[in-house]
Amino acid sequence: MNQPMTPLQSLELIEAMIAKTKSNMHENRIYFLFWGWLAFAAILGQFILKAIFEYRYHYLVWTITIPAIVITIIYTNKHRHKSARTFIGESMSNLWTGMCFSFFILSVIITSSPAGWMNSYPFFILLYGLGTFVSGRILRFKPMVLGGIANWVLAAICPWLPYDYQMLLTAVALLLSYIIPGHLLKNENAHVRPAH
Amino acid sequence: MFKDLDPILHSQLRLAIMSLLIGVQEAEFTFLKEKTGATAGNLSVQVQKLKEAGYIEVVKQFKDNYPQTLCKITAKGIDAFAQYVEDLKGYLGRA
Repeated sequence: MNQPMTPLQSLELIEAMIAKTKSNMHENRIYFLFWGWLAFAAILGQFILKAIFEYRYHYLVWTITIPAIVITIIYTNKHRHKSARTFIGESMSNLWTGMCFSFFILSVIITSSPAGWMNSYPFFILLYGLGTFVSGRILRFKPMVLGGIANWVLAAICPWLPYDYQMLLTAVALLLSYIIPGHLLKNENAHVRPAH
Repeated sequence: MFKDLDPILHSQLRLAIMSLLIGVQEAEFTFLKEKTGATAGNLSVQVQKLKEAGYIEVVKQFKDNYPQTLCKITAKGIDAFAQYVEDLKGYLGRA
């Protein structure tokens, strides 16, 4: 690797090496799809339990997030690149660690009073919007930015709807913020030229 | 032929190292070895040359009882890299 280079070869080498350090979209996609589909299934499950079966403890479906958090932590530790720290990787990690704590604190707040659950969904949608919008800006991925903005609009609409419809609106918010952008990231990967 | 190009950077392996480091906050020696495909000995020599030029910082430490060498580009290195790319563009513009 020590032969003389022409300027064009130098530029090609720079381009090839920089491509090797680019954050792999796939690393982020898996989280959006996992959490998107999990929360989507949970919210529809809660809707069915409450609106159709009139089950009193409908909100218990959300306990599924506890094993999901454990799975996420194990997966992240197993797949984290330990040999290089990238700016994008660090930013995404910091953002979603903060979001995770925010979701947890929000859950503590809404479970502290019986009426808490009745007002919770606009705040969850608001946080989905924030996380997705900032992620989209970090990754420079427009569908995610648009998903985040759409969620802010849905968060503003949500309090005006009856509680059962708020659940369905939250499902729509999850589709727009996590699931659709997550699947579009898959297509994005297919167009990325492999690094030489 | 390309006498105006920075001789420290106008070498395949050193340029590859700098191009990798420009895109990350810091990287382990093993990461550079894997991505460049260079031998540990050759890589070590070129890393040392970049360090002596002040283009990168090298920190040797222990992590989980194993030695770890971390490399990080310096402000001087970023400036030199940017200048090198500008000079390359100049050559290509003339071609």
